[in-house]
Amino acid sequence: MNATATTPGTVAMDAEVLIVGSGAGGATTAAVLAGAGFDVLIVEEGEWVEQGSVVPFSLEQMDRQYRAGGVTVALGLPSIAYTEGRCAGGGTEINSGLYRRPPDDVLQRWAANFRIADLDHDEVHSIANEVEQALSVSTVPGPPSAPSDVLRRGADGLGWQNSEIPRWMKYDHHDPAKGQRQSMTRTYLPQAVAAGARLVTGCRIDALEMGNGTARRATTTLADGRRGIITFRHVFVCGGAIQSPALLQRSRIPGHIGRSLAVHPTVKLAARFTDELNVPDDVPVHQVREFAPDLSFGGSASQPGLVALALSDQWATFGRSIVDWRRISVYYAAITSEGRGRVRAVRGLRDPIVTYGLTGRDRALLGSGLARLALLMLEAGADEVYPSFRGAPLVRKRADLAAMRSAFSVARASVMTVHLCSTVPMGEDTTKCGADSFGRVHGTANVWVNDASLLPTAPGVNPQGTVMALSIRNARRFASTEHSRG
Amino acid sequence: MASDRRHPQLDRIVGPFAEMVLADDLPRLPAQRRAEVVEFVQRRASAVPSFTRFGVTVIGLFYRGLLVAPSGRVIARFLMSRPVPVLAEYPRLIRSLGYAYVWERWPDTLRDGTPA
Repeated sequence: MNATATTPGTVAMDAEVLIVGSGAGGATTAAVLAGAGFDVLIVEEGEWVEQGSVVPFSLEQMDRQYRAGGVTVALGLPSIAYTEGRCAGGGTEINSGLYRRPPDDVLQRWAANFRIADLDHDEVHSIANEVEQALSVSTVPGPPSAPSDVLRRGADGLGWQNSEIPRWMKYDHHDPAKGQRQSMTRTYLPQAVAAGARLVTGCRIDALEMGNGTARRATTTLADGRRGIITFRHVFVCGGAIQSPALLQRSRIPGHIGRSLAVHPTVKLAARFTDELNVPDDVPVHQVREFAPDLSFGGSASQPGLVALALSDQWATFGRSIVDWRRISVYYAAITSEGRGRVRAVRGLRDPIVTYGLTGRDRALLGSGLARLALLMLEAGADEVYPSFRGAPLVRKRADLAAMRSAFSVARASVMTVHLCSTVPMGEDTTKCGADSFGRVHGTANVWVNDASLLPTAPGVNPQGTVMALSIRNARRFASTEHSRG
Repeated sequence: MASDRRHPQLDRIVGPFAEMVLADDLPRLPAQRRAEVVEFVQRRASAVPSFTRFGVTVIGLFYRGLLVAPSGRVIARFLMSRPVPVLAEYPRLIRSLGYAYVWERWPDTLRDGTPA
């Protein structure tokens, strides 16, 4: 860390390019720019946690690698729980690791509706090829885990389209259960550091100091409470779809910032089978996309604490089954929402206020999605299905689904989401875009956003592959433009 | 980081309520375990984002007022059982945190809190 003490208790740093955040957007940006010869400083609010030092999906992991211990919520009726990574590598350290390419129809729609210049599909797919190689994107060598096979079996039985989603994982071919996640701390961050980038963890960027549309300094708070400043020529804000717009707002940057949060809301159920199948530290790799992009089904983390959580809304009747947690796994129905949310930084509050409103169509889709997911579970051989909403009936046979469907209301359900995006949409249409076609914030000279915030809408698939491809595209454009300026 | 600091006032609001929820839901959870769970719930409640913490404090104060009022526990339990917007979110948060901790820490605990 190239830090020098100036006044007592103040730390000063400088860089040609400051990158705020080290997740899928920040790490790739850093690797591209450091590789192109820029003096890069990456600043990460969380700590570096070595892979394998915490159990995946455990409460300890939430303590150390999630923002606010994983207890974050978008306010609304109902409120929607969400999670954000807060550690070196960001969300890539804690998510499912499932990889999807940016869908062509989505790219096409974004380019047309948001006037994104030069969004060349061939270029994006060529970058996706590079990303897939760098992250060892692959399928499980051998049979899927039992919870994953439930999705395949149920969908096959119903004639529904399903497939194994590849992951960025290096598998041990002798023991496929021993895969190693190729998250940012294993790939693009070391690559950036090897190319000369510096990484500082435990440092929060409080605000950017702006003058005439140009940012020159960032004010910071270190983990030990000391304040600091960072001077730079260019800044890339890559803190994710909540923190990036919040930082821009705290810096008084106007424009379409934080007004169009998009998510994939999910509802859950737990299903019990006759044989033991629970895999506490991993998630299923199959997804059912028969009804995509509106609706898709997949598997969730299912360690016993999370099984209890899934049963907790109807504990009086479902609680007895917690002793069977080894025979239970948790699944979700996710929708592509037409609702929108907002991120608002409020003076005097450290954290932004996040809100989200579901539409009537979203609510209906969540209800029908949960019913279809329950049907899929029965088809796969579940002997009992426990929908996660207050007042839910126990589902043992198809005839129970009608009662479940009529008892469901979103207000009674535990709605959550993991894919947050679209808070600084990219494009030339300034009425709905916060950044230009390559991520430069409209109205600024040297402030870029390069993370999930840029995706104009929720892509309908796991977004990390799309985020990485677009981040690399934008960083390359920045590097070539700066080099041509000399 | 500053956001990881404990908030003693919030602890005093959340603690008794978490005690009540756990005593009702998991009556056979041993006292030492219950104390450990309550401590965990308080720690997590302290870590929530500032605006959410404000909401937890306000709603927590409402429930705390109920707990000390005559017949207040009956009213609190009634409210907890209904999908009342906003008010129902607080007991759900406390319950979620408590259950997640109990079954991660002691996975073979029975539904009423009895240790396996």
